[in-house]
Amino acid sequence: MAVEQLSLILLILSPFVGSVVAAFLPATARNSEAIFAGAIALINLGIAIWLGPSVRDGGVVRMEAPWIPLLGLDFVLRLDGLAWAFVCLISGIGLLVTIYARYYMSPQDPVPRFFSFLLGFMGAMLGVVVSGNLIQIVFFWELTSLFSFLLIGYWHHSQSARTGARRALLTTGAGGLCLFAGMLVLGQIVGSYDLDVVLFSGEVIAASPLYPAALILILLGALTKSAQFPFHFWLPGAMSAPTPVSAYLHSATMVKAGVFLLARLWPAMADHDLWFYILAPIGAITLLMGAALALFQQDLKGLLAYSTISHLGLITLLLALNSKTAAVAAVFHIMNHAVFKASLFMAAGIIDHEAGTRDIRRLGGLAKAMPITAALAMVAAAAMAGVPLMNGFLSKEMFFAETVETHVQGSFLDSLLPYVATLAGLFSVAYSLRLIDQVFFGPKATDLPKKPHDPVIWMLLPVGCLVLICLLVGLFPGPVIGEFLETAVRGMLLGEKPYYSLAIWHGVNTALIMSVVAMIGGIIAYVALRDWLSGDFEGARMPGRLALRKRVERAQTALGRAWARSEVWLGLSHLQPQLRWIVCVAILTIAWPFLFRSWAIQPGAAEQPDTALLFVWLIGGACAIGAAYQAKYHRLAALIMTGGAGLAVCITFAWLSAPDLALTQVLVEVVTTVLLLLGLRWLPKRKEDIREAADLNAKRRRAADAVIACLGGVGLAALSYAVMTAPTNPDGIARWLLTYAYSEGGGRNVVNVILVDFRGFDTLGEITVLGIVALSVYALLRRFRPAVESVQAPTQKTFQDKYDAQRHESHADDRQIDAHYLLTPGLIMRLLFPLIAMMAMFLFLRGHDLPGGGFVAGLTFAVAFLLQYMAGGARWVEERLTILPTLWIGGGLLMALGTGAAAWIWDLPFLSTYFSYKELPVVGKIPVASALIFDFGVFTLVTGATVLILVALAHQAVRWQRMTGKGEKIALEEDR
Amino acid sequence: MTDLPIDIPAWAALVTAALVLFGSTLALIGCVGLLKFSTFYERLHAPTLGSTLGLWSILIGSMIFFSTSQERPVVYELLIGVFVTVTTPVTMLLLSQTTLYRDRLEGRDPLSENPDPIDKTG
Repeated sequence: MAVEQLSLILLILSPFVGSVVAAFLPATARNSEAIFAGAIALINLGIAIWLGPSVRDGGVVRMEAPWIPLLGLDFVLRLDGLAWAFVCLISGIGLLVTIYARYYMSPQDPVPRFFSFLLGFMGAMLGVVVSGNLIQIVFFWELTSLFSFLLIGYWHHSQSARTGARRALLTTGAGGLCLFAGMLVLGQIVGSYDLDVVLFSGEVIAASPLYPAALILILLGALTKSAQFPFHFWLPGAMSAPTPVSAYLHSATMVKAGVFLLARLWPAMADHDLWFYILAPIGAITLLMGAALALFQQDLKGLLAYSTISHLGLITLLLALNSKTAAVAAVFHIMNHAVFKASLFMAAGIIDHEAGTRDIRRLGGLAKAMPITAALAMVAAAAMAGVPLMNGFLSKEMFFAETVETHVQGSFLDSLLPYVATLAGLFSVAYSLRLIDQVFFGPKATDLPKKPHDPVIWMLLPVGCLVLICLLVGLFPGPVIGEFLETAVRGMLLGEKPYYSLAIWHGVNTALIMSVVAMIGGIIAYVALRDWLSGDFEGARMPGRLALRKRVERAQTALGRAWARSEVWLGLSHLQPQLRWIVCVAILTIAWPFLFRSWAIQPGAAEQPDTALLFVWLIGGACAIGAAYQAKYHRLAALIMTGGAGLAVCITFAWLSAPDLALTQVLVEVVTTVLLLLGLRWLPKRKEDIREAADLNAKRRRAADAVIACLGGVGLAALSYAVMTAPTNPDGIARWLLTYAYSEGGGRNVVNVILVDFRGFDTLGEITVLGIVALSVYALLRRFRPAVESVQAPTQKTFQDKYDAQRHESHADDRQIDAHYLLTPGLIMRLLFPLIAMMAMFLFLRGHDLPGGGFVAGLTFAVAFLLQYMAGGARWVEERLTILPTLWIGGGLLMALGTGAAAWIWDLPFLSTYFSYKELPVVGKIPVASALIFDFGVFTLVTGATVLILVALAHQAVRWQRMTGKGEKIALEEDR
Repeated sequence: MTDLPIDIPAWAALVTAALVLFGSTLALIGCVGLLKFSTFYERLHAPTLGSTLGLWSILIGSMIFFSTSQERPVVYELLIGVFVTVTTPVTMLLLSQTTLYRDRLEGRDPLSENPDPIDKTG
């Protein structure tokens, strides 16, 4: 692979890797975080600059790796001029934003989270622009939605941040789903998801009957992302984000992803009337509405937000015109807007930071207090207004010139455009003017929360850099930006370059006249409205009926209510109905194919079982029925009988020559019984009189439950019977496993070889689930508070303690009483610890050839801990043993995964095992299999998971003691 | 179950048979006792027949059988014996203690001369 391809991979990977690393830096490391994030942005910028020559004349750098070859999907990174320009913007402005953020974030903010999300977002954005595959674009697209959600909601203690983040995620995420559908349709039309193929299939796409569907779906994605009318509402809400985030999201990234996508697909999709008729009105409305609303904002960032919406509308409109020169103007404006808007957001952040407020009405006369900031903001605002000699002027002139030209013959909309453009220009002059005048000039504000002054140089530096670019581009467009723009344009237009001129002065033409009109009109409008604008009203929004925001919110609320109602209606608010549903669905799912799909298993003739075994079964069955009968009012009895049924199963396994299963079954029975016993203690006592006082409803419910239970039980028994007696295929899997267990897996214990080798992947999945279950049990019990009536010690224990205290006055202390009645058993249990541990090791080591293995060994080892807890209580054990079950779980999983992955080193598939015999002194020949390490992972995880559940249950008792202790203290104080 | 080719010397077979029979007879007597005795405390004693002498004679029988049939010393049974010897008394102890407490709770303390139960409600 060439260096260029490798650098592309680095470009994508470095932000994501950096994101993970940044998350683990210490919370106070603002400097190292910023330097680290900045370095990654710098590396990406370096890569972009280095790759520049390769994409200059319409060149493309491509990197391919098979992804899902079966579906014709490859992972493609594709850098052309347009993507390259975006990479420059994303990493360049990203670099400045990290510097700025270092000084903007306060020491109290958890910066690792911030920089981690920022880097993740940068990576997602880079992914969108350099993806060479439609599906891949959607993937990264959704990632940007997720990361922007996390960034906007960074200050999650604030309600507005949460609302804003949620709204942004819902809007852009829903758009993303539409985009996914659209991309699938597009891929179907073209017959390939590869971007290169799609871009050159413009004619096929335009001719396809599916074009409208693809277009509308894709536009839904792009327009929601770019905050176009009527989906613009999420953007002002996103202003609750920290300002560096706003500066990044709303200048170079996030919202630009939408217009990027339009530009990206422009050669493939723009050549159709629908493109113009959908996009142009939306662009025009957004342009005008955004500009108008921006003027009426009182929040500095709100003003900038609406201005962003307006400028994005302008870009959308330019792209809608389906003319190559308009496309040039669009790309140019994307760059210009990114530069001046980023600097303005940063300036707004500085003002907020130094003056303590962003309310335009409260600010004023700041030019004296913070002259440098004022000067920089003024230049940037001038660029935004389109004042000559600034970069904004150039692209705005291009835009005006484009609107004047006729693109669609006889269209009312097309002839209306120059007026719309001029009016929007007028507004943008007015709001830029207002921004400068009311913040920096006029009477000096007196009631500011802080005394404003210029910030440290490092905070000004990023703004200064951007403003310098505004000026340089505005003054010397040809030499400064010419080549950059040309590269981007050639990339977008597939190598073509239409004629355009970057000169500042084109002579007196219509565009210039429009500019002058807008300029003068804007000044007049502002002067006329000035006093009224400072009046007492909050920032304007879209008027009532047009505001989609309200409707979306109302729909959300309605959905939430309907959901809550359905919960009540389906009876899902209680555990019992939930379980009933689960069981019913399970029964139906299994019965369905037999009842309606003509599935059938032909049961064969069963062998006549031994009389002795039959007797065991009778006892087991009686135990099971008894357990079900007693389950409601005598849980302890039910539990013991369940154990009896389990033992019957266990004897059956041993009888039928399945020692592995028997061993496992015994241990599982023991461990679950003890854990359940520990849990039972916290359940409130059932009142037996409920049984008698049941009304008709309850009786009906119980009868229904009995029917369900019988159906489930009988069904399962019938199914098992049918499966077990069905004639087996003599050449089936069983024979294969028996034949190859030793030659392929190196073990004589076929069950164990299946577990750790043949079906190792299943085992990996299972132990993962086990770990998750243990963690969830722990998480659930951590917040568990027992019912009031079960907080008190059980009657038996109270009585026992009382009696012991009476007889042994010296043993008044709680723990000594414990030691008293468990003196001998406790001692034995403690002494058994090393023996049981040894037993576990024995079972583990012989597992590959004889009954045993990691799972059984893990359970055995857990039993050792279980006994310690029973003998000494949680406190006693934890004073002496440091048990870190979560580490055991994680370590075991990693070990199993690592063993699996190690096979890759020898170019073998995941989880291939290696085995041979090694000669050891004294011990002799011992089998060495990599499966043993995998099995050790299983062992560790099983131990950890069981012990974690045990600890979670045992700690209830500790907490309860602490709780009642506190309660007694309070009672004592009250007595006094 | 499995059909081992039994190939052991006659003396070993005889000794094994005698030991196993003796052990199982003791266990059987213990079971009969469990059935015959009337109170819980009496019943506690019966099964110990099987778990001490009975157990050991069966284990020794087993050791002799497997050591001679496999022609190498087989001593796993020692571990079984140790484990059972250590754990059975503990189980018995716990059982009897529990019964004792329950009896006290119900007002009939078998240890006290004149039953004088403490406050029942606890």
